[in-house]
Amino acid sequence: MSQFIKIEFKRQLSSLILWTAIICGLSILMLSMYPAFKDSFSELEAMLDAFPPAMLEVFGLGEGGLDMSTPYGWYGMEGYLFVVLIGGSYAGILGSTILSQEEDDQTIEFLLSKPISRNQILFGKSLVVVTNLFILNMILFVTLVIAFSLIGDFIFLSTLLLVVGPFLLQLIFASLSLAISIFVTKSRKVMSVSLGLVIGLFFLDIIATLTDNLNFLKYFTPYEYVNAVSIVNNQAIEFVYLIISVVIIIVSGFVTWFFYNRKDITA
Amino acid sequence: MIKTKELTKYYGKNARGIIDVTMDIKKGEIFGFIGPNGAGKSTCVRTLLNFIFPTSGEAKVMGLDIIKDTVEIRRNVGYVPAEVHYYKHMIVEDFLKYSTEFYTNDYEERLHELAKHLELDLTRKIGDLSSGNKKKVAIVLALVYQPKILIFDEPTLGLDPLIQSVFFDLLKKEKERGATIFFSSHVLSDVQKICDRVGIIKEGKLIKVENIEDIMKARAKNIRIQSDDFNLKEDEHIINLKKIKDSYHFTYKGNIDKLLKKIESYKIDDISITEPTLEEIFMHYYNKEDKQ
Repeated sequence: MSQFIKIEFKRQLSSLILWTAIICGLSILMLSMYPAFKDSFSELEAMLDAFPPAMLEVFGLGEGGLDMSTPYGWYGMEGYLFVVLIGGSYAGILGSTILSQEEDDQTIEFLLSKPISRNQILFGKSLVVVTNLFILNMILFVTLVIAFSLIGDFIFLSTLLLVVGPFLLQLIFASLSLAISIFVTKSRKVMSVSLGLVIGLFFLDIIATLTDNLNFLKYFTPYEYVNAVSIVNNQAIEFVYLIISVVIIIVSGFVTWFFYNRKDITA
Repeated sequence: MIKTKELTKYYGKNARGIIDVTMDIKKGEIFGFIGPNGAGKSTCVRTLLNFIFPTSGEAKVMGLDIIKDTVEIRRNVGYVPAEVHYYKHMIVEDFLKYSTEFYTNDYEERLHELAKHLELDLTRKIGDLSSGNKKKVAIVLALVYQPKILIFDEPTLGLDPLIQSVFFDLLKKEKERGATIFFSSHVLSDVQKICDRVGIIKEGKLIKVENIEDIMKARAKNIRIQSDDFNLKEDEHIINLKKIKDSYHFTYKGNIDKLLKKIESYKIDDISITEPTLEEIFMHYYNKEDKQ
């Protein structure tokens, strides 16, 4: 069992390194631009005033939104977006391929002919997904701690939440994708479905922010749960969203467990 | 050791599964499971290993339920799939070692011994192996931890004749050790070489289970005789007599010596006696089944 997890982890290691490098690299890049922009914020704000308020709302710059002149406001605006989108995509891909790849390559027959139960396979694979996402976000956390400290304005709770938020979002996408992969076994197809979900829900978030009478849609998009405005300005992830997130993850997990144990594996 | 009762797997209207397969394979027996491609051989194997769930009926392996106790069953079963798919990026030796780590004992020595017998290069990447070599990996994998039961699905597919004979020697040793072997194949000569009993599966149904000797007795020869003054008639031994151009074609069932004596008096320009193809033997059983 432990060997199985080790092999699985090793198999996913190179993509973990790649995605971590991209996400941390972009965060560093965005934060490194902060000092240069800091001095010209008044001009920038004048320019922003020219934009329609709806557009500013989308980017979290509307009323009660982010203050771009602070490092956290700047990061919430410029860096965080990439982290949630790219991190979400990684989680979607990881969740959708970790099981379905074995069925695609028909290596699942090998695993299933060993004395290991389907639940052990599921548990091992899920553990690798969670571990990988955890490592990614730990490295991101360390990166942000260093970067914000260098800029000279480090706030522990904000930094932590800026990592916990994406981690939660990634767990949601990974667990949803894993559940989908039980039903759609071609890994390419699952990947398109879950990437569609990652991007589709992002646009849903924009729509929910833009349109007042569609505001209820915010409950259906996990991007809203880990909104940068709430994290940076209130230093909080809203409790109701936290509950919804946990429920989504548990329900996906249950669906995955229930159907994987009853499924014909016809590799 | 392997007992099924009305085991049925229904895939839907367009795909064939297995229907009411009932069989009882005894300890230490080599049981051949023959039928053409698509007859349901792999479905049966996959059901026994719980890759797929039966629609109805039940099956027990070593007295254990195939669904509830599948992990315990797999601990005691070595399996060689028809098509071998392993992790392409892994080196054969690493992969084999990884595989044995699912079991408690240390199999290092036996692993190398088997690889040597089968002339398997342990240093290569699995993705670079030919299908025959991949099959060897599967065979080593199945035999290495000396399981109580071996389940083979087309095990000789892709193996060259030399390695095939090594493989059969290994099987004989496994049988001596007391292993029960389930040998699914469409290659009759393989089954004939090694099996004690055979089950013939047709369109998902197990239509006959017989001792191999009985099957062999029923085997016929295809005869073609080129002759001008030939006037044999169909009888219980001579079946399907046809004249094509200047030669006579028929299937002969029975003692070949008697046939030769019978045709001694004719002037024969040419004669050929061939083994019936596998299809013909299947047809023989299949037609018989249809008539019943």
